[in-house]
Amino acid sequence: MALTGLQIYKLLPQTNCKECGFPTCLAFAMKLAAKQAELSACPYVSEEAKAQLDAASAPPIRLVVVEGPGHKVEAGNETVIFRHEKTFYHPPGLFLRVKDSWPLEQVKGAAKEAMDYIVTYVGMNLHLDGVAVESASGNPEAFAAAVKAVREVTDRPLILMASDPAVLKAGLAAADGTRPLLYAATAENWQAVAEVAKAANVPVAVRADSLDGLADLTEKVKGVGIQDIVLDPGVRDPAGTLVTLTHLRRLALKKNFRPLGFPIITFPGEGASDVIEEAQLAAEHIAKYAGFIVLDRFAPEMAYALLAWRVNIYTNPQEPIKVQPGVYEINNPTADSPVMITTNFSITYFSVANEVDGSGLPGWLLVADAEGMSVLTAWAAGKFDAEKIAKTVKTTGIEEKINHRKLIIPGAVAVLMGEVEEELPGWQILVGPREAVDLPGYLKLWKSF
Amino acid sequence: MPVEIPVEQWPGRVIEETLGATPAEGGTRSRVVKVGGENTLPFMLTDGEMPNPPRIAIEILDQRPKDWSPLLLEAWGDVVDDPAKWAKAAEEAGADLVLLQLSLTRDGGKPTTAADAKALTRAVLQATGLPILVFGPGQVDADNELLVAVAEEAAGERIVLGICEEKNYRTIVAAALANGHLVNGRTAMDVNLAKQLNILIADMGLPLDRIIMDPTTASLGYGIEYGYSVMERLRLAALQGDKMTQLPMLVTPGFEAWRQKEAKVGEGVPASWGDWRQRAVLWETLTATNLILSGADIVVLRHPETVKRVRAFIDRMMAK
Amino acid sequence: MVTVVFRPEEKRVEVPPGTLLSDAARLAGVDILMPCGGQGRCGRCAVVVESGSVRRRSTQRLTPDDIAAGYALACQTLVESDVVVFVPPQERIERRIKETKRAAKIELPFPYDRHDQPLRKFAVTLEPPSLADQTDDWSRLQREMARRYGIRNLQASLPVLRKLPRALREGDWTVTAVVELDAWDRPEGPPRLIDVLPGEHLESLWAVAIDIGTTSNVVWLVDLMRGQVIAQAADYNGQIARGEDVISRIIYASKGNGLQELQELVMGTLNRLIAQVAAEQNIRPDEIYKATVAGNTTMIHLFAGIPPESIRLMPFIPVVNQVPTFPAREIGLGINPEGTVDCLPGIASYVGADITAGVLSSGLCDSDELTLFIDVGTNGEMVLGDCSWLISCACSAGPAFEGAGVVHGMRATAGAIEEVWINPETYEATYKVIGDERPRGICGSGLISLLAEMFITGVVDKSGNINLDLPTKRVRRGEHGPEYVVAWADETATGRDIVITAVDIDNLMRAKAAIYAGFSVLARSVGLTLQDVQRVLIGGAFGQYINVEKAIQIGMLPDMPYDRFHFLGNTSVRGAYYALVSREMRRRVTEVGRMMTYLELSADNTFFDEFNAALFLPHTDLSQFPSVAALVGEG
Repeated sequence: MALTGLQIYKLLPQTNCKECGFPTCLAFAMKLAAKQAELSACPYVSEEAKAQLDAASAPPIRLVVVEGPGHKVEAGNETVIFRHEKTFYHPPGLFLRVKDSWPLEQVKGAAKEAMDYIVTYVGMNLHLDGVAVESASGNPEAFAAAVKAVREVTDRPLILMASDPAVLKAGLAAADGTRPLLYAATAENWQAVAEVAKAANVPVAVRADSLDGLADLTEKVKGVGIQDIVLDPGVRDPAGTLVTLTHLRRLALKKNFRPLGFPIITFPGEGASDVIEEAQLAAEHIAKYAGFIVLDRFAPEMAYALLAWRVNIYTNPQEPIKVQPGVYEINNPTADSPVMITTNFSITYFSVANEVDGSGLPGWLLVADAEGMSVLTAWAAGKFDAEKIAKTVKTTGIEEKINHRKLIIPGAVAVLMGEVEEELPGWQILVGPREAVDLPGYLKLWKSF
Repeated sequence: MPVEIPVEQWPGRVIEETLGATPAEGGTRSRVVKVGGENTLPFMLTDGEMPNPPRIAIEILDQRPKDWSPLLLEAWGDVVDDPAKWAKAAEEAGADLVLLQLSLTRDGGKPTTAADAKALTRAVLQATGLPILVFGPGQVDADNELLVAVAEEAAGERIVLGICEEKNYRTIVAAALANGHLVNGRTAMDVNLAKQLNILIADMGLPLDRIIMDPTTASLGYGIEYGYSVMERLRLAALQGDKMTQLPMLVTPGFEAWRQKEAKVGEGVPASWGDWRQRAVLWETLTATNLILSGADIVVLRHPETVKRVRAFIDRMMAK
Repeated sequence: MVTVVFRPEEKRVEVPPGTLLSDAARLAGVDILMPCGGQGRCGRCAVVVESGSVRRRSTQRLTPDDIAAGYALACQTLVESDVVVFVPPQERIERRIKETKRAAKIELPFPYDRHDQPLRKFAVTLEPPSLADQTDDWSRLQREMARRYGIRNLQASLPVLRKLPRALREGDWTVTAVVELDAWDRPEGPPRLIDVLPGEHLESLWAVAIDIGTTSNVVWLVDLMRGQVIAQAADYNGQIARGEDVISRIIYASKGNGLQELQELVMGTLNRLIAQVAAEQNIRPDEIYKATVAGNTTMIHLFAGIPPESIRLMPFIPVVNQVPTFPAREIGLGINPEGTVDCLPGIASYVGADITAGVLSSGLCDSDELTLFIDVGTNGEMVLGDCSWLISCACSAGPAFEGAGVVHGMRATAGAIEEVWINPETYEATYKVIGDERPRGICGSGLISLLAEMFITGVVDKSGNINLDLPTKRVRRGEHGPEYVVAWADETATGRDIVITAVDIDNLMRAKAAIYAGFSVLARSVGLTLQDVQRVLIGGAFGQYINVEKAIQIGMLPDMPYDRFHFLGNTSVRGAYYALVSREMRRRVTEVGRMMTYLELSADNTFFDEFNAALFLPHTDLSQFPSVAALVGEG
């Protein structure tokens, strides 16, 4: 069980010596509770307190890392069941599956297309994380050749899928220089697969059709000395997956059940018949507790939707999200259209943009870099002042796009009007409404200003 | 190793609400549609029950849409010129419910009148046997005038009147009270605001089983995570026993998805966005799917293909 | 039938048993005030049952002692036999109601030791100089001070030396030396001569305790011979004209001569108040030799002329949390120019010396009971903790409760409506005005009471929207949207209607929501809930006038038994006073400054959430307000 700040505080020296870098012992305790500080920063903590605090802070879901030379996927270490309780930390890796029974050119082509795919979303370049190579042939050489072919087109991490330890071994050799995930140890082959994984020091997935069987397997694999384990509970339909993955998350977090405290791998394509259905299942797995997702289909529109969804779900709800500062065009504005300015807090931006958009009236929306704060907060913190507004006007090039010089500032910062006029000679500063919902009405009257 | 399945038994339950009334119940619908009633998180049927699957409403307008994507217009064809035909087409496309969205003005720019609203409502009620929802244009005075007329015209039909907002709910709630309807209360994406509006509406004497809450949402890629988490929190509060959040939730992924470029347009967008047709349906489908996973009881959709996709997903999730 | 006799008018009436006392009174022609419309909510109709048997349906507002003394609410009490009832004069009821919820008398909670003070007066008679002893005046005084009082190495500034020859000769070589033996940041001395007066003047030694609030400034004149507060004065901070909140002031200070202007403005207010208390005691301001000052961090910066800009900018740090001591002349404070000015330590940009002063004077840090302390003012600072830990935050409530930002708001002075009742059937308002004058406006406590009544009677819905459909002329559409008329023009001192507008209500809702949200976030930050709180200490300029019951009804204060609330008045000036008169208190306030943890709410998303939850009457989560739920019939 996680301790509260006050519970941790009672274990600390309570001298407020400040040597940990925080102003008081309580402040330090609260940071520890939020996992934003390390206990080792306190030079005076007692051994007894240390033992208690360490026990309370072990991660209930183990962090498992797979990597290639050019990319790394971390899964696990999650602390909550619902993202609003804190945040989800490690987005599930999205992998595309290829098979060694395919012609090598097809393997390469499919891997290359998926791995080369990049889409820009709110200023981020998003891409898939790696390739899962499955041994459909059962032949070590064919498998090694497929792995090699994939490695020629990408340096991202791999998942090696085979039931025969010898095949996995061949794949591992071909994947030299990466840290792939081996899939999968089962009740039948676990000993040999675990040995292979242990020798190569790579994580291994275990598959069983019941949670009982899964827990048996992880205990056995751990017994061999492997810590990095990934779970496949064997369900493929969306309903069963949701229920089972929810149970796994609950067991790890609420029951602190160590045998199942590992990230989970899913295969949405095995439960779907086309791109859209696979996307629906994958979307469910992104939201509900997968650590690695192996896709069977690739289409740019599907990749874009899933990558955006993954960013959305893994956005820290405690932190404001920002939009890119700059000039935004709404409803095809012309040189006569009104110019408004707001801050780059996403909710602020979206509410303003949506109101203008919904009004049907064209407009230019300038978004100032206010470090993701809302208008009033930013104003109070000095991040949205006359200088910042003037700078935004000057640097966005809006002056070349319009033939008037009227700027609408948010009603909440009406006090800035005079100063902005000073900072922007030649501009007429208009005070807009305080609330975004009043913008459409305001804009209708704009022509008369 | 025997693993004890961590079943979660919740003390609370979402109220089950009935939309529509058959002739036996004083209306003219061919069947009623029940929503809500669950005492578990979405599709966690090992914890509790979901007596009703999430329902699909199809949004139709009172006239040919002016700013809808060409893909939507192509999918519906000429029926968009006649709300009655459109309602019938929506029923055939697999809707559980039909949502009639009134506009502020009629063709030619004249304001929509109470008489127009009555006629439109009557036409839709006659064209489909499904329970309906009627939403005003979203402007205080117009909403109050038109929805009162709609409520009177549809007296006894148990339709859903929308939308109530914190600054404008009294007139609409009074109309629902007087004519035996339900209301849809919409709030900005926020747990507390949603609950507050439910309380305000209930304080006027409308029974809770006639209030639907609409916590507002956003499209995939455009802030959906806010809506997703707000709905998850509302549903958790309901299951934990907070009476004023135990209402079915309605959201409008169709509206949200189709206002974004990803669904709306095929040109002038990055190549990495892929095939437009598939992307557009995917965008609406995933927006709706994800919101259903966070607790939506009614999703309002626009494209008939999306309706099929979302229906198929719900069916699979509800399968025993 | 039974007989009811109403004294002192000796009116009698025959009624059936089970009749309400209020109905009997009406039949007997006895006038009993019932501002709440006979709902048993206001307590104004309390009467004393002197003999006979009655049944009290409700005893809200009555204490067990009241009931033992025979008090009963006329509108809630049924006669069961012949009874004799005494109808007390209205003032007596007022007082009884008031005394249960107000308390403020300036007493030190510790013994005062006038000998253990750094600032002292010493009468000393010198050997007059002669040709045989040509020691200079100053060395002569130093020598005698050492010999007589053991005060060695006495220092003096030039201005004091200039006064010396005349004082010595006018006093015929007997003078009174005002000496500061040591100071907060000079515990080892050396002693400093601050003034020298001809003759012996040991009857008093003056100092002031000062609180610089964003809205109000307070000066207490203290006699260090007795350790007592002798006079008090308060007024609006002269800076208000340059911005109502600290943020506006900081911005103003950063422009041109803004800082200097703001410093002069506050000094103007303080010096006027100092002159006022001095005049009351027939002394000159320069007979005041020390000032101890509390105030929020921005106010202390402006007072000391330190640029406050960094307070408002991320990451929100002040220039200095504890200003070193300095002589009054350096800032133009109107006490003796050589007098020392001490500022209490602050914690952070938005939790300042006013709060450490409050923690000190409230006794929060002396008890192991979990205590919530709040300074109800513009900045809404609050502290949660006990003797082993303290955590604080500031929630920016805005100035609504101080009467600012509300159309007819005013400070709690004569002419302010301080309590309101609304009749739930007619929606008519009755009110009580401070000083029993015609009303000029509504003060903070009046606003709380008004909002509570509007909520309970349904004039506003739980979101605070005025219901314009009510059958009364008092609700109407005004210039600024919907409004409710509290007093008609012909009742007021201004000749205009006194109203509360939708915008006012919005500001009040935000203010109360910010305060309650602050409570919730503080408690949650350390893993506790408000239900764990054992005591609530309320300080602040108008804190002492708050009616707890009403404040709970609007969801500003947590719903708990009234006896857990304690009103402390202006804890900031009181803390300054304690620190002024006690070394132990100065040590303790320093310790408070060291141990208090500050929670920055702008970095905390939960505040926004809690704020929205609290932006409702009484709260979105009604289960946190069981007594209010019961009152509105939703328990």
